[in-house]
Amino acid sequence: MKAMNRRKLITASAVLAIVGLAATAIPAQAAEVGVSSTQIKLGMTLPMTGTASLGYNKIPGAAKAYFDYLNANGGIYGRKITLVVKDDRYVPTEAVSKTNELILKDKVMALMAPLGTANVKAVASSVNPARRGVPVLFVNTGFSGFADAKKYPTTYAVLPSYVMEAKIMGQYINENFAGKKIGLLYQDDDFGSDALAGFKTAGTKFAVTVPYASGSQAAATAAGWITKFKAAEADVVILFGVTSASLYMLATAAQLKYAPQWMIGSVGGDATTLKLAGVPAGVLYNAIGFSPVPATTDMKDEYVKFFSDIYAKAVPGSAFDLNVLLGMNSAFMTAQALKAAGQNPTRKSLMAAIDSKGATFANSALVPLGYSATSHVGLTGYWVGKFSPTGDLAPIGGTYVAYTTDSGSGAVVKSTYKRPAMPAKGLPN
Amino acid sequence: MHKRHNSSHIIPFILGGVVLYFISGMVDELRVYQGASIAVYVVAISSIILLTGYSGQVSLGNGALMAVGAYAAAVSHISWHIPIILSFFVAVLVAALAGALLGAAAARLSGPYLAGTTLALAIGLPSLANQFSILGGEQGLLFDVGFPPLSLGENFTQYKWFFWIAALAALIMMWLLQNILQSRYGRTWRAGRGNEVAAQLAGINTGRSKILAFTLSAGLAGLAGAMLSMTIGTVSPSAFPLALSFSLMTGAVLSGITTLGGVIIGAVVLVAIPEIADVVAHRLGSSESVTTNLPGLIVSGLLILTVLFVPNGPVEQHRARKARHEAEHNSSKK
Repeated sequence: MKAMNRRKLITASAVLAIVGLAATAIPAQAAEVGVSSTQIKLGMTLPMTGTASLGYNKIPGAAKAYFDYLNANGGIYGRKITLVVKDDRYVPTEAVSKTNELILKDKVMALMAPLGTANVKAVASSVNPARRGVPVLFVNTGFSGFADAKKYPTTYAVLPSYVMEAKIMGQYINENFAGKKIGLLYQDDDFGSDALAGFKTAGTKFAVTVPYASGSQAAATAAGWITKFKAAEADVVILFGVTSASLYMLATAAQLKYAPQWMIGSVGGDATTLKLAGVPAGVLYNAIGFSPVPATTDMKDEYVKFFSDIYAKAVPGSAFDLNVLLGMNSAFMTAQALKAAGQNPTRKSLMAAIDSKGATFANSALVPLGYSATSHVGLTGYWVGKFSPTGDLAPIGGTYVAYTTDSGSGAVVKSTYKRPAMPAKGLPN
Repeated sequence: MHKRHNSSHIIPFILGGVVLYFISGMVDELRVYQGASIAVYVVAISSIILLTGYSGQVSLGNGALMAVGAYAAAVSHISWHIPIILSFFVAVLVAALAGALLGAAAARLSGPYLAGTTLALAIGLPSLANQFSILGGEQGLLFDVGFPPLSLGENFTQYKWFFWIAALAALIMMWLLQNILQSRYGRTWRAGRGNEVAAQLAGINTGRSKILAFTLSAGLAGLAGAMLSMTIGTVSPSAFPLALSFSLMTGAVLSGITTLGGVIIGAVVLVAIPEIADVVAHRLGSSESVTTNLPGLIVSGLLILTVLFVPNGPVEQHRARKARHEAEHNSSKK
């Protein structure tokens, strides 16, 4: 009797499961996925909650602020852009399942600005956007590998790579701090090994290097780092880590009155975020910093002015920082790519548009883009600045001096790039 | 009373497999992927149920043992070119070995001390991968089980292949586990959980029995880790965060931690909740902060409700009610 009941239960639940699952299956679409007569659907995964979300969770709001502005001004050939955002909590498993939802359920045309090296890599391997022909526009990681168009044929980098940054830092040291004792704080993983490779190419000699394990950043650990830099009598200390590493280092240094010449990498060097987290402006003063886009406080820059005005209206009360600027910049470039993809954009025509015209896309960066038929390299350099007495990164002597290079053994050269004027009203031409 | 209670027949599992086979051919790719995730969680949660529910050891380090299994599988496949099928066995063996070592220490600890030790493991172990270049650092290693065999047809998707592998592994494991739990070992674990002193007086070596439970549970966790890595194609430290260990624990509690029967409930809940939350948030048209925090809220709510109303899990509760009902029925007959 009991056995019968159980068998019945199994059969019943199996039937239920089949009916339920089949009912939710969605019929296939005819036209290009994610493009209808009225809208273009894009998808984004990134950490919106959890410890890694600090700062980055402003990116969707920033991108949406630009897309809303664009939609209110006619969209792309009359189509409005919709951005579907999913929280991956900075976990590869989540990134894969959310990306699956974006592609298979939400049926987005393209993915935009996914964040984190391990996440993008897991998605490339499991979801395999390349095999599905889904474009992955402007990934938010400085890992140089994603620019490899052979390995990741549908993925486009936008940030300059960590190798490029280290090479440009090395060049700056050779020119300005020759003979000084240099110390380096770096993350003990691929992020750091990319940096070490760049410094090696630049010929930088270190008096001391201090690695830290990702996740070990804390005030007490920072005090330990300082002891090592002090013991080696470092004149210049480079912080090539994430924001929290710079944060604990600078805050602890302020307490211990330790004040070498700081040099802060772009990943952990957003002044707005650091100051909001409690780093005194005075500690940042005179530190050397690096960025591909103009200073976020530079309201004389037409892009910064334009983006910050839109952002202030769309997300009142939220500070305009580097993450916001980069998010809006990527949204602006995405809009131009979609426009260049033609009246009836397809995934193929979208990628072809970036290959052929991507290098000329208008954007706020002060260094050129490296897209071509064979290259998916994004921005190719940084400008070097100093932090002002108010703790904001500003160009030395008032003019932006930018350097460009590659992720290989190419030389670091002073950029002659003249950024074209912003298209009228900040809309794609 | 009934033969079924002494040994678990293989037939229901085969039937289950046949049903899953037909389902996998009928639903779209996203559901197939979710099915594979459910199979992974089934194995991972049953490893916790074995350890915590049956042998009474509270461990929060399951994610770490999954990481051990995942790395063992990937390294053995990449560095030593072991066939992919065997690499799953390597995952089980290496994780079980780690579990045996850990279990030897754990047998001396209990309650919060054991939980604390395993918690430290869950935090520390995955980031160790950054220290050894063979483990690929933060980016991790690729773990590619390869394309499905061509004989399955051109339209056979990668995810269906994952699902087949994961579902088959889960079914086999569940069958094995069901039999182990109903054997002498299962009874000694339960005896030790119920009252350790009484169990020792009855001649059970509780220390050894605990280590055995830890070893088996770790082997299962290792398999789950390798399966998880298969579904995301990579192994990296960030794939095994502390949150994974916690959500598996949540899944185990929702399943009813002392019965294997409910394990599918916890696994389905873990996969379905984010999607349900998404639909709810979409209907309500709520803001981003609501959408992103809703899954956590729903899971916590469910957890509290489970502990309040069905502390032993829905399946156990149902059985208890049935047993009570039968007892009443019998006594009224008399």
